[in-house]
Amino acid sequence: MKHPYFRLALLVLAAIVAVALLFTTVDRPLPEVWEGFVRGTTGTPIAWTGTLRETTPLLLLGAGVFIALRAGLFNIGIEGQFIVGAACSTWVALNVPGPPGTEPVRMLLAMLAGGVSGALWALPAAWIKAYRNGHEVISTIMLNSIAIALTDFLVAGPLKDPKGASPSTARLSEAMRLPFAFSQGNLQVSSGLLLGIALAVAMYLWLRFRVAGYELRLTGENPTAARAAGVSVARVTMAAMVASGAIGGAAGAIHVLAFEGRFYQGFSPGYGFDALGVALLAAGNSLLLIPAGFLFGFLTKGGASLQVFGVPKGITTIMLGLIILVAAAIRYRRESNDA
Amino acid sequence: MLSFATNTLSFATPLIFAALAGYLSERSGVINIALEGKMLLAACLAAIVGAALGPVAGIAAGLAAAVGLSMLHAIATQTYRVDHVVSGMAVNAIAAGAANFVLLQNRDTALAKAVQLPPLGVFQVLALLSVVVIALWVANTRAGLRLVAVGNDPFKARLAGLQPVHIRFAALVGTGLLAGLGGIYLVANSAGNYTDNMTAGRGYIALAALILGGWRPVASLVVCLVFAAFAALSVQFQGQPFLGLAVPGEFWTALPYVVTLIALALAMGRTRAPGGLGRF
Repeated sequence: MKHPYFRLALLVLAAIVAVALLFTTVDRPLPEVWEGFVRGTTGTPIAWTGTLRETTPLLLLGAGVFIALRAGLFNIGIEGQFIVGAACSTWVALNVPGPPGTEPVRMLLAMLAGGVSGALWALPAAWIKAYRNGHEVISTIMLNSIAIALTDFLVAGPLKDPKGASPSTARLSEAMRLPFAFSQGNLQVSSGLLLGIALAVAMYLWLRFRVAGYELRLTGENPTAARAAGVSVARVTMAAMVASGAIGGAAGAIHVLAFEGRFYQGFSPGYGFDALGVALLAAGNSLLLIPAGFLFGFLTKGGASLQVFGVPKGITTIMLGLIILVAAAIRYRRESNDA
Repeated sequence: MLSFATNTLSFATPLIFAALAGYLSERSGVINIALEGKMLLAACLAAIVGAALGPVAGIAAGLAAAVGLSMLHAIATQTYRVDHVVSGMAVNAIAAGAANFVLLQNRDTALAKAVQLPPLGVFQVLALLSVVVIALWVANTRAGLRLVAVGNDPFKARLAGLQPVHIRFAALVGTGLLAGLGGIYLVANSAGNYTDNMTAGRGYIALAALILGGWRPVASLVVCLVFAAFAALSVQFQGQPFLGLAVPGEFWTALPYVVTLIALALAMGRTRAPGGLGRF
């Protein structure tokens, strides 16, 4: 009998070797590349601003995926919910009129629009899972593709900025942008990041101390037991999926209001997929979303700064995939040992 | 009309390969959302290795990459018992990253030369033949029936003396080869060149076709042909009104996904899925 951790160590080793092998194909000397990576992610105030900017959507979307995952659902559709939420909130932010000074109200309205549209986009998948027993992974993959096609169409036609050439909406005015939570010189921290942290903490407390939170966890861990204990599994499934979609849509709104200031084709560089990794890394504890989101943001920003050295940013995508695999292997190993 | 028929067959071929790849995997009980990644990396390597070392090396490299990714999925799901969806996502990420990496490290080769692959007809005939062969093989041979048995109920299959893990590894080799062929076809269809994110969601459409076809090869083939016919129609009617309506191109793009979603809502995915999907 092999030691239970032998295979796991082998997997971690294989992942490290794979990444090391990739780096040997890079032309530039490695210490220089490493220095560039560190400088590009945490070396300067600008680098920190960029890293925290990448962290914000990953943390928010990670929280969205997390709440569904605790109910036993894979919300791969968070990507589509993010995009739809961003598009709808941009429309609201651009088109709801109001005298100067009402911007905070209108921004709140835009976030609400993002949350509601994200929830609605998750609704078909929630319903199909709860009442038709169709796998949520399949339905959300379909909804993601539909979301991309729909927003591509909208932003090239009805929502397009008539004055612009590219498929993009008009820009929001400066007054319609989320204020920084902290800004000093080149170091700027968006209030979106604070919202993400607050969400992770609130989720932790809610899951731990509220009856509904307990029912959600119970459904995720053992739906049969939950049913026997009188929990309506279908209702919890609906609620968890729709809440996850609402968070995804609101994250889209925050991304528009805090960073992008507009919506355009190709809005998400795959944040939704990385968010699944963030949620998996956090495993059972939503507080861990914060370091997990930061790790993914750090690697994404690092990948972008490595491009200066001629290192393709695909290298970080590979690393994120390997991290997801290893984290999942550790997680499922632990569960099967308990059993 | 002739161009419509040839376009349909041309659009359908990669879908057929990928749907068959999914068929072998899911019938053995392994959920596979990683078809997309396997096709993408196979296309990338077939084009770039092919341009550098010739078509045989290119095809071999493409197939090897797809089989390699398939084995990674098998090791993760069978040896480490990682959730099949999580592993599939990770494999897709690794494939997308690797394709980006290989392309950018060899941009000069990729731009300078194109790989001379066999004519499209060879792939198309091979795709149609594969459907027939696999359908007959699964229904009539001992190995084929074992594949289905393991996918329907791995526990009972184990009681009958079968080894689900071994059978699934074998099935996933087939999945890799077929998905690889689907990716290589895309390169052949674009005059031997690879472009970034070339698969554009075809792996997911193929998965949808598999589900709509009730996890059966011939029915899935029909769904692939219908999806491809819609794509061919959108080429035919590009920028023109269809039945008097100005239909945007995105409508045709989204159509297969909407149809699949409606089918799921009508509970078509419930009864016909292999019973042992994702189980041990």
